[in-house]
Amino acid sequence: MHLAVLDWVIIVVYLIGCMAAGIAMRRYVRGVEDFAVAGREMDLNLGIASLAATELGLVTVMYTAQLGFTKGFAGAVIGVIMAAAMYGVGCTGFVIGPLRRAGVMTIPELFQNRFGLPVRWLAGLLVVLGGVLNMGIFLRLGGEFLVAATGMPAHWLEWVMTALLGMVLLYTVLGGMLSVLVTDYLQFIVKGMGIVVTSVLVIKAIGWSNLVHGLSAAWAATETGNTGAGLQMADHPFNPVHSTWGYVLWQIIFQIAVVTTWQTQISRVLSARDEATAKRVYRRTAFYFVGRFGLPGLWGAAALVYFYQHCGLPVGTTSLNAMPTYLGMLLPAGFIGILLAAALAAEMSTDSGYLLTWATVIYNDLISPLVKRPLSASARLFITRSLVLAIGIFLLFYGLWYEIPGNAWDYLAVTGNIYLASVFTLLVAGLYWPRANATGAFCALVLGAIGPLTFLVVNAHVDKAHQIAPEVAGASSFALAFAGMIAGSLLTPPPTRQTNHQN
Amino acid sequence: MQELFLWFWTVMLFTSIAWYFFLIFYVGAKGGAEIRRLTQSRQQRQPEKGLDK
Repeated sequence: MHLAVLDWVIIVVYLIGCMAAGIAMRRYVRGVEDFAVAGREMDLNLGIASLAATELGLVTVMYTAQLGFTKGFAGAVIGVIMAAAMYGVGCTGFVIGPLRRAGVMTIPELFQNRFGLPVRWLAGLLVVLGGVLNMGIFLRLGGEFLVAATGMPAHWLEWVMTALLGMVLLYTVLGGMLSVLVTDYLQFIVKGMGIVVTSVLVIKAIGWSNLVHGLSAAWAATETGNTGAGLQMADHPFNPVHSTWGYVLWQIIFQIAVVTTWQTQISRVLSARDEATAKRVYRRTAFYFVGRFGLPGLWGAAALVYFYQHCGLPVGTTSLNAMPTYLGMLLPAGFIGILLAAALAAEMSTDSGYLLTWATVIYNDLISPLVKRPLSASARLFITRSLVLAIGIFLLFYGLWYEIPGNAWDYLAVTGNIYLASVFTLLVAGLYWPRANATGAFCALVLGAIGPLTFLVVNAHVDKAHQIAPEVAGASSFALAFAGMIAGSLLTPPPTRQTNHQN
Repeated sequence: MQELFLWFWTVMLFTSIAWYFFLIFYVGAKGGAEIRRLTQSRQQRQPEKGLDK
């Protein structure tokens, strides 16, 4: 292990502080609304900290660094698009304005008001399936970062991540969103320090001019086929549209859907004090997402240049774990402690936010509508807490102790897209198209799900040269969902005034 | 054209580092005050509603 005493002190102090703050919030939880949306009392800066902390996990750091390693600075174009989408939504209130005004706890709850209970239930099921499966990979990738950065034995990964998840479960089960907000705040600060310090040290170590020239040289070597194993770049390091505009255009659609539909982001909108606060949180957080992709991407790009200039990738190192391997060699004692505390903060903030969000959807949209008689506040709270715990246990076995067969990334990307394409379509049509009806909603949900699954099956059975590109598969799922909504709604009677307002 | 992209990314990355540094202190100070207000508000409201836990 590369850790010195100072590193351990930093990590232990962070963990104790975070746990104490999280557990202390349990005394303020009186019901499900407190537990799920913090009694809707979240203010601007707490919202910024929570949104930024939840959406920047270790898994994010890993894949954005991989983008930096394979695509250079241009890999961060997704962050620029996401920031623009968030700022635009924050200015206009597109989708998030009516959502907050509706006073719902989840997105599917809004669908009952517009399309009826069966649509709410089916949408809730898709949201949970996409969300939980998407989260399944977080623990293992986070663990791989810790193994590569600290040099700890690989067989510790499962035990370390299990202990970490146990700590997250403890404060999330007890304090819900109130604990998540307070711990997110601490994690935002620790993570911010880690990111700033690491970025400055990386630039200082590699040299900005050397980094730029190294990326150009690595790209030139890739084009001529003269790179070492594992050091080939996937695209131009500075120009994001060098090969095609298709990917960028697809990301524009995708990121608009993410910022208006991804339930963990929307749960901050729904926890906000009012609509104006929710919009301000989006506007103020927008630029953070450039760094969310750009700064880990910078570390990944620096790792590429370093290994390109120093006798190639070490044995067992790939584009995915090259960045933490590089940081483990680069950072001195004390700094690695800050980086690790930041890494733990990233993992914990994302896990707690996601666990709470999906448990709330299961309770609110899958269980609650089926319960005939009203439950007491304590019973509802007990069910929601049990669901957080159950999802945590499921993730432990699915994502950590059970090796997912095949290419998990492809599988998760497709399941995530099923949810985003169909639910985004229902949201936009439900809020802005009076002619949309329940039949259209069902068609959108079914087509949005069938489309991506078909692509998955096709790609599994044809050779690589004939496989469907991700941007084509992704854009098609949105097109299919929208076509289903339009055709289904226009071919059946319009919704009555009573249907639109019955709930 | 490539020079333009390089300038763009240089500005984006260095501004991001500066923005993250600023937010640590700005959100750190303001967010701390909001947590205090939140907990005080929860404490005051608790006896009024008296909901079971």
